[in-house]
Amino acid sequence: MSLINFFSKNTETIIEYSGNHFTLVLWAVGISLLIWVPTGLLLTKSDKWAARVLALANTIFCIPSLSMFAILVTIPTFGLGRKSALFALVLYAMMPLIRSVYDGVKNVDRNVIEAAKGMGMSTGRILREILVPLGIPIIFAGFRITVVMTTGIAAIATYIGERNLGRFISEGLVRSNTPMMVTGALIISVIAIGLDTLLGLIEKRIVPKGLRVTR
Amino acid sequence: MSWENFRVAIFDKAPDALFVHATIVLVTIMIAILISIPLGVFLSRPKYKRFGLITLNLLNILQAIPGIAVIALALPILGLGMKPAVVALLFQSLLPIVRNTIAGLMGVSPDVKEAAGGMGMSQRRILFEVEIPLAMPIILSGIRTATVYVVSIGTLAALIGAGGLGNLIIGGLSLFRPEYLLVGAGLGAIMAISLDRLLSYLEYRITPPGMRVE
Repeated sequence: MSLINFFSKNTETIIEYSGNHFTLVLWAVGISLLIWVPTGLLLTKSDKWAARVLALANTIFCIPSLSMFAILVTIPTFGLGRKSALFALVLYAMMPLIRSVYDGVKNVDRNVIEAAKGMGMSTGRILREILVPLGIPIIFAGFRITVVMTTGIAAIATYIGERNLGRFISEGLVRSNTPMMVTGALIISVIAIGLDTLLGLIEKRIVPKGLRVTR
Repeated sequence: MSWENFRVAIFDKAPDALFVHATIVLVTIMIAILISIPLGVFLSRPKYKRFGLITLNLLNILQAIPGIAVIALALPILGLGMKPAVVALLFQSLLPIVRNTIAGLMGVSPDVKEAAGGMGMSQRRILFEVEIPLAMPIILSGIRTATVYVVSIGTLAALIGAGGLGNLIIGGLSLFRPEYLLVGAGLGAIMAISLDRLLSYLEYRITPPGMRVE
């Protein structure tokens, strides 16, 4: 009951925080796509560099998110606020995105590429018309993980001054205001599960018919 | 930043926090292994495959819930302290291990199983002496994913009074003491990275040479 009460009394705040949350997630995912997808494509050219960069990405991915935000806050150029939050989220997206682009492109049958070359396709066209369409199932899976993960970690950015859905949880904890906390947790969970399901459905649609695996 | 604060953070606060954090991680992972490996074995038996799909979907949904939300939901239901934190962390550490156990067991070649059956091994012996050893590298990689995850979300457990390294970070943020922040965050990162390295080394060691992928 108190949940519904809290919800109806604070609709405006909820909308404001959700807006902030989505803006942060959108920016982070957008920047990550712009940086990491080309990086992943480049890495397919050199196995040595791929191993190095993937190891680095893995190490970054291990760092607890609260730690990452905390370390960024102490660096003078970043400090409290959106810059640190964005930077941390983009760093976290590195692992799933680079890995999936790399794996997706590497998984394409060598013979198909050979055939394309034999037909006289340029490297650019092979990339656009063969590698990316055939690699898309794995790449999209990485994108899905990135979006869901970013939504979750963005909530933690409330501790470094973001005013988003995580704020309900942090404020609720401090004030021991259970309805507030539970509302925040529920909204974030619903958004994360919803995004995951939605992207999962799209994932099923975009896979070329011949590549579909029956699970 | 002052040396005095660093000294206090490293020598007075950190050992305790590190110990509590390690306890939370160890206990959670132990319980997670005890629950999920038998569950994975059970669900990979041909008879129960139907439940396998449902359980995996359910765990997948649980996994999508952000860690901070799970922690926040655990508080009103389970209260403050270390126990609720362990339960909350447990929820999300199950999926990687169950999924990898199933994937590992399903990945064992049917020929190998048939050969073992032909040698007169019982179903139980095939499971323990053939299937599980062959699936072990994949199971261990699931345990590694879960461990790193628990170390990471474990820092948030400080919010519901479980203590650990998160205490230093959150304390540092609210008092604005960068020294506390750096010590807590640094130790958390080092712990996660070294556990990851350790487990991947173990994974490499127990993989039979013929199965290693370059």
